[in-house]
Amino acid sequence: MNPTSINSTELLPSSSKVTPSGVTNETFIKVINFDFFYGKKQTLFNINFAIPSKHVTSFIGPSGSGKSTLLRNFNRMNELLPGVRHEGDITIEGRSIFDASIEIIALRRRIGMVFQKSNPFPRSIYENVVFPLRIMGCHKRAHLNETVERSLRSVALWDEVKDRLGENALGLSGGQMQRLCIARAIAGQPDILLMDEPCSALDPIATAKIEELIVELKKEFTIIIVTHSMQQASRVSDLTAFFNFGKLIEFDHTNRIFTAPIEKQTEDYITGRFG
Amino acid sequence: MAYSRSHILTPFTEKLDQIHSSIMTIGELARANFKNAICGLFERNDDYCNNAIANDEEIDLLEMQIDREGLYIMSRFQPVASDLRYVISSMKIGANIERIGDQVVSIARRSRKINEHPEVPELHELDKVIKLAMKMFDDALRAYTEENETLALHIKTQDKQLDRLNKELNERLILRMQDDSSKIPIYFNLIFISRCLERIGDHAANIAEDVVFAVSAEDIRHLGS
Amino acid sequence: MMIPHSNPPHHFFSNHEKKTSFLRLWSNQLLTTLCVLFSFFTLVPLFSLLYLLIHKGLPLLHFSVFTKLPPPPGLHGGGFGNAIIGTITMVGIATLLSAPIGILGAIYISEYAPHSSLTATVRFIAKLLTGIPSIICGAFAFALVVLHTGQFSALAGGAALSILMLPTILLTSEQALMGVPSSYRDASYGLGATPFQTIWRIVLPEALPAMMMGMMLAVARAAGETAPVLFTALFSQQWASSIMEPTASLSVLIYNFSALPYHYQVQMAWTASLVLVAMVTGTNILAQLLFRRKFQ
Repeated sequence: MNPTSINSTELLPSSSKVTPSGVTNETFIKVINFDFFYGKKQTLFNINFAIPSKHVTSFIGPSGSGKSTLLRNFNRMNELLPGVRHEGDITIEGRSIFDASIEIIALRRRIGMVFQKSNPFPRSIYENVVFPLRIMGCHKRAHLNETVERSLRSVALWDEVKDRLGENALGLSGGQMQRLCIARAIAGQPDILLMDEPCSALDPIATAKIEELIVELKKEFTIIIVTHSMQQASRVSDLTAFFNFGKLIEFDHTNRIFTAPIEKQTEDYITGRFG
Repeated sequence: MAYSRSHILTPFTEKLDQIHSSIMTIGELARANFKNAICGLFERNDDYCNNAIANDEEIDLLEMQIDREGLYIMSRFQPVASDLRYVISSMKIGANIERIGDQVVSIARRSRKINEHPEVPELHELDKVIKLAMKMFDDALRAYTEENETLALHIKTQDKQLDRLNKELNERLILRMQDDSSKIPIYFNLIFISRCLERIGDHAANIAEDVVFAVSAEDIRHLGS
Repeated sequence: MMIPHSNPPHHFFSNHEKKTSFLRLWSNQLLTTLCVLFSFFTLVPLFSLLYLLIHKGLPLLHFSVFTKLPPPPGLHGGGFGNAIIGTITMVGIATLLSAPIGILGAIYISEYAPHSSLTATVRFIAKLLTGIPSIICGAFAFALVVLHTGQFSALAGGAALSILMLPTILLTSEQALMGVPSSYRDASYGLGATPFQTIWRIVLPEALPAMMMGMMLAVARAAGETAPVLFTALFSQQWASSIMEPTASLSVLIYNFSALPYHYQVQMAWTASLVLVAMVTGTNILAQLLFRRKFQ
């Protein structure tokens, strides 16, 4: 991998917070005037921004700022909860994900999700990875085997587990389990990978490995990561969005957010002067 | 303990490698300019001098880039321990090399002035000073790449020797001035060049101090002076 | 390196601390002793019951009690093979009737519509049903089955027991399903599984051991009930040839024989009790062994 030289545009203020300057990839996910309600309570207010493909975008902000809620809207996981509704739109490649012609199941198959607590099924390592294929009705042994190896290699887990694919996944270490969950999430070859605080329960070395993985995976996937660790956001992401009280406060190049944010709220939050 | 820039997180390693290679580039440039300026003086060729002056702009830009890279690493990867020292030292070394570049520009300017006059044999009085200053600078760059603490500490002792050589040269040239007042401008410029070389030695010593700090977390500035 | 300004010395264990910790220590030990003592007391009735059963029931326990028909009042010999078969048949019928409804109902209220008002109603009624006296279940089955078919039968007995079992199966199954970590569901839905795939492939396999345990509990309880079968299946001195005729059961046999003035019949009631308890306990142990969770 060639060291990319630091672009001085990353240090210049963006013309708008919707699309940071210097982002060449075309817009992949677009959030348009998006409001979200949980029962009577509004949790997201008029969110507008565009996420480019093959980048890592991190969402930071205090608890209850709406970053996870927005993340769970991209694959409509919020709809599993009672009494939720939204206004506005989210589009992927220009198509609304809320369109009646979009099957929610098909949408979720294009979007992998990794959760805060690693949640492998209490099955073998092998069966965990092939689960997305099994639910799509694929049971061809050769294809399953190939997927297992490819996915586990992508998450740098193959060498560690290749001799015990039949063992229960719950016997792995915390970091390995989370990497297994990432392998499972990418086994169905989605386009987008959503990560909801994927390292919050891991030790620093396991965290570093996952972070390295995220950087590696952005060559293939558009990655959105919600994290409470600003350091993590700064280490892994290309773009950072700061949320507060359900509003998008600032969206820009990560380097700019952590060197010279425009909004005072952002500055106060990342420097620990909040409230 | 040898310092390894390699980390689990590849971009971190890459950015550390990048700042390292930027330091090497700025060091090579400054070294080449230094040689140009000296060539201009000894071969009485203004082209060399002009080259050295023009190329300094690139050194200035590189210094700014090194600072940007250091800031980038600090804001994005929160380096600690040896990494933190490495980044801070690299930024300071970049600044010192830039100052060396400035001294080289002064030397080039003074050389052009000397070249306006007929050649004087006293020019070669500078030989020892130039040799030592150049060696110190080379050693400083080598100490940085090799993380060689011993070499860095050796540079500090050479610095005193350079100061002494400079002082002796100044005294001799001042005596000559009294003998032959027509050559005062030449001697005067030679004294200035010698002073620049002495300053280059100081910066090389600063680089050595930064290397020692990066390698062993030891602050050896202002000791026993 | 010097530690700057340490605080003025203070005693880590002050006298005051010692006194309270002494008191705390004593009250703690007292409570522990009481707990051990009372948990021991709970074992007393259980063991005395077992002792009584074995003491009184063992003398007549021969292989023949499993194969022979009950003796007429006053006569010796015979057994209660038909009652054992009858109990197994009726509990089997009851399980076949109640398990599908209970399990599917539990899946619906726990997985498909956990927040609907129908769910709340079902859950509330199931809880009410657990409190209904078993004799009411018998009366209901009598009205529903016996009056319609015009005879007492194993089917009617099974129906009565199924009403008794249904809320237990529903509620324990729901508990079992709720015990499956929601993170599994998140993972499954997040990967694009349908609700059916999520339930069938992920949730049910996880909940199955606990669901089976709940079912076995219901079975054990139903096997011991007398009142619901008393006037639905009645009793029979003969081997049953179909489920549509009056059928003997262990519980009714115990009830009948223990009321007789003959010593032999009373003793046989004790033996039948021993067999019933052994069957119920055996079922439970079997369930534990079969459905113990394979992974923590």
